[in-house]
Amino acid sequence: MRIGALREVVLNEARVAMTPESAIKLQKLGHECLIQSGAGSRASFSDTDYESAGVRVVATADQLWSESDIIIKVREPLAEELADSPDGKTLISFITPSSNGALLEQMAGKRMTALALDMVPRISRAQKMDALSSMANIAGYRSVIEACNHFDRFLMGQMTAAGKVPPARVLVVGAGVAGLSAIGTAVSLGAITLAFDVRPEVSEQIESMGAEFVFLEFDELQADGAESGGYASPSSPEFAKQQIEKFLQLAPSVDIVITTALIPNRPAPLLWTADMVNLMRSGSVVVDLAAERGGNCELTVADEKIVTKNGVTIIGFTDFPSRMASQSSSLLATNIRHMIDDLTPQKDGAINVNIEDDVIRGSLVSHQGEVTWPPPPPKVSAIAAVKKSHTVAETAAEKSLREEAELKKSLNISGIGIIIGSVLCLGLGTIAPSSFMQHLIVFVLSIYIGFHVIWGVAHSLHTPLMAITNAISSIIIVGAILQIVSSSFLVVLLASISVFIASVNIFGGFLVTRRMLAMFQRR
Amino acid sequence: MAFSEGFIAAAYIVAAVLFILALGGLSGQEKAKRAIWYGIAGMFLAVVAAIGSAGEQIVVLALMLTLGGIGGWFVANRVQMTQMPELMAGFHSLVGLAAVFIGVSADLEMNRALSAFQTGVADQLSGFALIIAAKTPLELKILKVELFLGIFIGAITFTGSVVAYGKLSGRLSSGALTLPGRHAINSAAILMCLGLGYLYQGDAGLWSMLLVTLIAGAMGAHLIAGIGGADMPVVVSMLNSYSGWAAAAIGFTLGNDLLIVTGALVGSSGAILSYIMCKGMNRSFASVILGGWGGEGQVSASVEGEMKAIDAADAAQALSDADSVIIVPGYGMAVAQAQAAVSELTKRLGAKGKKVRFAIHPVAGRLPGHMNVLLAEAKVPYDNVVEMEEINDDFPLTDVVIVIGANDIVNPAAQEDPQSPIAGMPVLEVWKSSLVLVLKRGAGTGYSGIENPLFFKDNTSMLYGDAKDSMNEILAELG
Repeated sequence: MRIGALREVVLNEARVAMTPESAIKLQKLGHECLIQSGAGSRASFSDTDYESAGVRVVATADQLWSESDIIIKVREPLAEELADSPDGKTLISFITPSSNGALLEQMAGKRMTALALDMVPRISRAQKMDALSSMANIAGYRSVIEACNHFDRFLMGQMTAAGKVPPARVLVVGAGVAGLSAIGTAVSLGAITLAFDVRPEVSEQIESMGAEFVFLEFDELQADGAESGGYASPSSPEFAKQQIEKFLQLAPSVDIVITTALIPNRPAPLLWTADMVNLMRSGSVVVDLAAERGGNCELTVADEKIVTKNGVTIIGFTDFPSRMASQSSSLLATNIRHMIDDLTPQKDGAINVNIEDDVIRGSLVSHQGEVTWPPPPPKVSAIAAVKKSHTVAETAAEKSLREEAELKKSLNISGIGIIIGSVLCLGLGTIAPSSFMQHLIVFVLSIYIGFHVIWGVAHSLHTPLMAITNAISSIIIVGAILQIVSSSFLVVLLASISVFIASVNIFGGFLVTRRMLAMFQRR
Repeated sequence: MAFSEGFIAAAYIVAAVLFILALGGLSGQEKAKRAIWYGIAGMFLAVVAAIGSAGEQIVVLALMLTLGGIGGWFVANRVQMTQMPELMAGFHSLVGLAAVFIGVSADLEMNRALSAFQTGVADQLSGFALIIAAKTPLELKILKVELFLGIFIGAITFTGSVVAYGKLSGRLSSGALTLPGRHAINSAAILMCLGLGYLYQGDAGLWSMLLVTLIAGAMGAHLIAGIGGADMPVVVSMLNSYSGWAAAAIGFTLGNDLLIVTGALVGSSGAILSYIMCKGMNRSFASVILGGWGGEGQVSASVEGEMKAIDAADAAQALSDADSVIIVPGYGMAVAQAQAAVSELTKRLGAKGKKVRFAIHPVAGRLPGHMNVLLAEAKVPYDNVVEMEEINDDFPLTDVVIVIGANDIVNPAAQEDPQSPIAGMPVLEVWKSSLVLVLKRGAGTGYSGIENPLFFKDNTSMLYGDAKDSMNEILAELG
């Protein structure tokens, strides 16, 4: 099959769907690669780069449409791009079918097989083609970089000869892929990073990235994110109220706010109100990654950077991935390549659109003259359901109380034990002769010493411990030696055998311990 | 050439201190290498002092010591590290046997001493008999109790260790022997021994103690035969403890403080090890001693789903993609002798800049610390080997976990299924990592016969076959 990558016609789109690197791998699958001249120029890939990777460069879009079987591009095609296109082609690109109904009809009318990169189901097997995650990762990173660009202070705290610089405080709202990426970037730049998400189960991921999870004091459990394919669902009114209070409280103390909250097939939720912006210090920055769908911040203007009256910069760019076109093109081209890989199971250049396959069915929006969106629910659930019984983590105070109670209990038990033991011992002392009691003292003290010494032994040395205790328990040989002087033959015989057995044990035990210990070595 | 009493007592004190230092030195790997010399020096001093105080039969003693030394040297150098559990059990049986012999001899000597005392030739006695001749009737009564205890514990240790040796070396079936009414049998045996002990306090002679030896011996064998293979770490450390108590009892009999001190040290050491092992399995000591797993009436939830097999090439690929790897070894690694291949894998992955660590469950293997010794033998640096509590939190951040021949210690049923026989046992939470590779011989259940839901999880892949072969294949694929 011939795969052709179109040049993007949207003004601010710098990305390209094929890179020289992905072209080489596509050719290995038995495909031929074409590219429209200049398609990669704004992502720093020249026509010559493509040619040296074995890609045929064609001059016009019309030529590419007619010569290719599979058209790949980044953004969904515009109506006028499709107007003159031949029928029966296969298209792979972002499509956003939920808001592009007319486009779907147009594609179906042209008997086009269209695969939407943004509809790839979120299951483990399909992660390699999850272009949304790739782009979200880049957007998250870039959002921090853009924020820094407009923030006139250090992110990292420093102690300099010219005085102390406090670290910046960054709040990331929404801990999806973009949010986590933003958290990672902000943390690595040295900012104190806070993060919020309506799904309590992501707190672990947030903390693993080095940020602090903003908890709401709230006992109603949120709908499990796993049920909706790993995405957040809309919050209940009580929850939203709590959340607003928390944000109002945080607003004066944060320098940079990055909002990344999106719910599939809905406008972006409003999270950062004008009140909150007004509470922020002059010079603070808000980056709204949801600007394309209306924005999480009330004051966001899509595709623009505005400065409010109180000096807060609000960035509403919608083209973060495109601002890093080379990087995002590499990732996107790889995602597309993986999808073509799945479409070419025999690696022989023949495309097989297998609608039994969850991943392919999920992303297929137009096939054989019909609109095939929305897809039926996938057979495999996205993320294993988290157990509902979230045990509330015990607070420090509860823990110390519990430990105190446990300590008290164990002290009581050992106290009773000591009393009983002492009484028994005293009772024994009244009948036993003093010679016995002297040995008993030695015995009891030895057990006591033994317990203290053995608790200190390293776990990894338990086998050597057994070997060495085994060797020294052969001290019983001393008993045998003392008996061997008897004049009774039987006793001498028994004692001799005992000496023999015990010495096997002594030598064997010590030698084997030594062998083992010699093996333990430091790196 | 007999040494003076004071000198001998001093030698015993020094020996006892050296023994304590030897055990205390095991708190760290580097210290331990010196600590063992304390133990050897203590033993040497004790034996020399004992021989000096006896002063006779030097030729026989030298002969026996030499023969025993050669035997011990032979065994210690021939044994493989994977056979350590059965070697320990074997050694324990020797201590038990020696305790029985010494106890019986003590009874013979006691009777000789008493008859000599009555006929007025007590001053011709020597050694132990001389000590006995000086005892009051009450002290003699106590002596008989101590003798009884020494023989009783010694006999249990002896036969129990022999059975444990058989099970660990595979010469006996490792399953739990469950005779009908086995608790009744054991109780009856204890009562009979106590009864015989009472008779012995009266005028019953040596025969009663020989009978105790037989009954206690049978009971020891039966007791250990009733304990399943998975509980063997507890059994071995328990026998370790018994061998110490036997030595202490003999020490009381002979009035020798060194034996008492050493016996008490060893006894408490074994007891602590047993306690740690029981805690590692979340079981009470009594339930381990009284019977094995796999009893009737335990229905655990059946597991749904299927096990996914993986081949060595894909496993190698997963490993080369991973940044952090944790290896969980179990008894299966020892059986397959895979530790050298595992060590090689560790080195290769480490050379590629990956973080490779080992997670050791307290009851992995058949002996406390068994896995540590095997890994040390394969030259895995001990600072890469981490205990369960320290590493359990790291699994969610780990890319690949390799489970080699381990089963129950990574069984999520312990946390998820309250019906499971191992519910509540602390386990390594390997399933929280991104990918679990399980190296396993076949699709069956493990040593304890409990179904393991881990094998059915989505992020688990099974690599069937002998662990050593599988490891070598992965190594070949890694190139």
